[in-house]
Amino acid sequence: MQDSHISLAHGNGGRYMRELIEEVFARHLANPGLDTRCDSVPLTLTQGEVMFTTDGFTVQPLEFPGGNIGSLAVHGTTNDLAVAGAEPLYLSLNVFIEEGLEVARLERIVAALAEAARAVGVRVVAGDTKVLRRGEGGGLYLATTGVGVRARGLCLGMEHIRAGDRVVVSGPVGDHGIAVLLAREQFGLRGDLVSDAGSVLPLTRAALECDALRFMRDPTRGGLATVCHELAQQSGLGVRLQQTSVPVRDAVQSVCDMLGYDPLYLACEGRVVAVVGAAQAQQLLACWQLLPEGAQAAIIGSIEEARHPQVVMVTELGGERLLDELEDDPLPRIC
Amino acid sequence: MAPGLGVVGVMLPYSPLHHLLLNAFGGALVATSANLSGEPVMTDEASVEQRLGGVAQAFLHHNRPIVRPADDPVYRTIRGRARPLRIGRGNAPLELRLPVELDRPVLAVGGHMKNTLCLAWGTRAVVSPHIGDMGTARSLEVFEQLVADLQSLYGVRAEALICDRHPGYATTRWAQRQRLPCVEVQHHAAHAAALVGEQAGDSAPGDWLVFTWDGVGYGSDGELWGGEAVHGGPGRWRRVASMRRFRLPGGERAGREPWRSAVSLAWELGRHAEARRLVAQLRERADPAGDYDLLYHAWQRGLNMPHTSAVGRLFDAAAALTGVCRTASFEGQGPMWLEALAGQSASPLALPLSLGPDGILRSDWRGLVEAMMETSRSVSERAALFHSTLAGVLVQQALAVRETRRFDYVGLCGGVFQNRRLSEACAAGLQQQGIEVRLCERLPCNDAGLSFGQVIEYAFSG
Repeated sequence: MQDSHISLAHGNGGRYMRELIEEVFARHLANPGLDTRCDSVPLTLTQGEVMFTTDGFTVQPLEFPGGNIGSLAVHGTTNDLAVAGAEPLYLSLNVFIEEGLEVARLERIVAALAEAARAVGVRVVAGDTKVLRRGEGGGLYLATTGVGVRARGLCLGMEHIRAGDRVVVSGPVGDHGIAVLLAREQFGLRGDLVSDAGSVLPLTRAALECDALRFMRDPTRGGLATVCHELAQQSGLGVRLQQTSVPVRDAVQSVCDMLGYDPLYLACEGRVVAVVGAAQAQQLLACWQLLPEGAQAAIIGSIEEARHPQVVMVTELGGERLLDELEDDPLPRIC
Repeated sequence: MAPGLGVVGVMLPYSPLHHLLLNAFGGALVATSANLSGEPVMTDEASVEQRLGGVAQAFLHHNRPIVRPADDPVYRTIRGRARPLRIGRGNAPLELRLPVELDRPVLAVGGHMKNTLCLAWGTRAVVSPHIGDMGTARSLEVFEQLVADLQSLYGVRAEALICDRHPGYATTRWAQRQRLPCVEVQHHAAHAAALVGEQAGDSAPGDWLVFTWDGVGYGSDGELWGGEAVHGGPGRWRRVASMRRFRLPGGERAGREPWRSAVSLAWELGRHAEARRLVAQLRERADPAGDYDLLYHAWQRGLNMPHTSAVGRLFDAAAALTGVCRTASFEGQGPMWLEALAGQSASPLALPLSLGPDGILRSDWRGLVEAMMETSRSVSERAALFHSTLAGVLVQQALAVRETRRFDYVGLCGGVFQNRRLSEACAAGLQQQGIEVRLCERLPCNDAGLSFGQVIEYAFSG
């Protein structure tokens, strides 16, 4: 490709577009299932229940410590398959490029996407590229759709949650939210604040081996607190978390303390929250702690009978704070 | 009773057990209530032993179970009269008469801190005992029990609910979950209406100018108000005066960390060395220079920096800038300590007052904040100056409003007026100008009065 920046011509269906697809997308994403000349592609699926999901990616900035929008587009969608108990197999990729994006930057992002796909073991087999006029997009938007397969008869879902079950998280929360915030607001790089963006597949595979696994979710937007609210609302039960048990990195906690954010509401992109039978919680914890992704996993709370579906945080001093459902923009109430 | 104050709270024995204990001991005893900070009192032996085991060495139980929890009421003498700061055992449920008849029975759910409920029907209003801070599971439980109890005790079923406009209050969320019509009332309108309602009794309220100074409340424009003067009467308040706005770094955390308000004001004045010093003095921070840069950058970009005009936060800033209290361990600590330390009365600074394009008079606190940084003056001098200047601001605003609007009374309501020194100085200054002043008498001037104020607003807004 000759040009250093994307122009509207790269989206008009002609030679520029062919070059872009061949030299950037097809080159990095090459795999036996990808044929850019075809309008659609046959999929070969293994035995089991076919799982299907989709996700859009608009993160700003496009590149942040610990990942970029490309790797995120793979991890976001394959993680949604993984927490449903599936093995991700195929992805489609929609790309919306804003006119003026630097080609070198696009290449870095696509290379990261390809690398993440290889590591997860998923193939990008379909795609589409559009170029938006300057000012009509945030540089680059991605959308991926994922297909996976899971074992038939898997009992995984909020309807299986019972009072007494335990809540387990696979690692420290809030890393992604803080890393992206600091990068977006140009706070200057800090080596100790890196996104946790990554594949949760090793964690979910290990968890599926454990008995009495009820439910898994990756706490993305709205963070851990929001997942707990969903658990409470859907099960009609209460969630009780122990503040001292929730893993939060010191560097993340420190930034949150200063800026007045709560890490429980910040997005993670490589963590799993699982609900498991009380007697099996230690087993799951031990499985996760053996993995590099789960070294700091912790049992953080339990499910309980409650008069309302609510999330209670037991503080260090034994106080029982209600964790609110996320507001648009939390405003001070108690000054 | 709290450390750092010039006064001691006294509780008189009101139960046979108190008399037995005091007789056996032969002297004064220091007591606290059986609860965790902000939560309602505990009522059963098991939970008391489980949850307070870490702070109490022994438990003395009673063989009569507690059906309804009630905290003790608290009073403070201001302007020659004992005024409630909290209502509870002995004076709540508190019944008040409404100036007008309601169209249907209503339940007002109050605010978020120091909360009470108010059930009202016909021309009767009943305010519940103090519940506590609504952010805890136990408060919500007590709140719901009181909702049910009040309605069954009086044989009245509420047909509508009234709540604050703040979308994040637990009580607002609760009200919106119920299957009843729900009316929202602005925080400071409710404060003003509470004062007017209790003073009016069953007569027509007249025209008022009410200063509603408090921590923060959700304003009609989505900003955090707390230095507002409103004119009119229940159901027809107009915001006429306020304070120059500033930002609250870290949002809700500013409530317990007075240094945040101070840093923000120092930045507003371009006093970076002062701001840096405040951050450097924080304890248990690993990297004060990094913290400072982080917060300053966030301040410049407006990240989690809501605007406020709250006098309560100005008090906090003054407490931190004078070194009296940088981080609070209980609500209102900075302002309370500042009041306790204030020395001989100081001649007030005159602050500029200007009419904004929105038709609202705003006082500019910058000169006062500068004065709080002058180490050539003693802390007690600065504390006195702060009080006298704010009292002067209030009188100046009242006089400026009087030039264009008529009113029969000036009212003082909102948590800031729990400050005796400030309230008395404001009242004296107004009186000198021939203005009749009214302070809360039957209900606390803090957020405990909101529920009743919500009912009054509702009664007049039909």
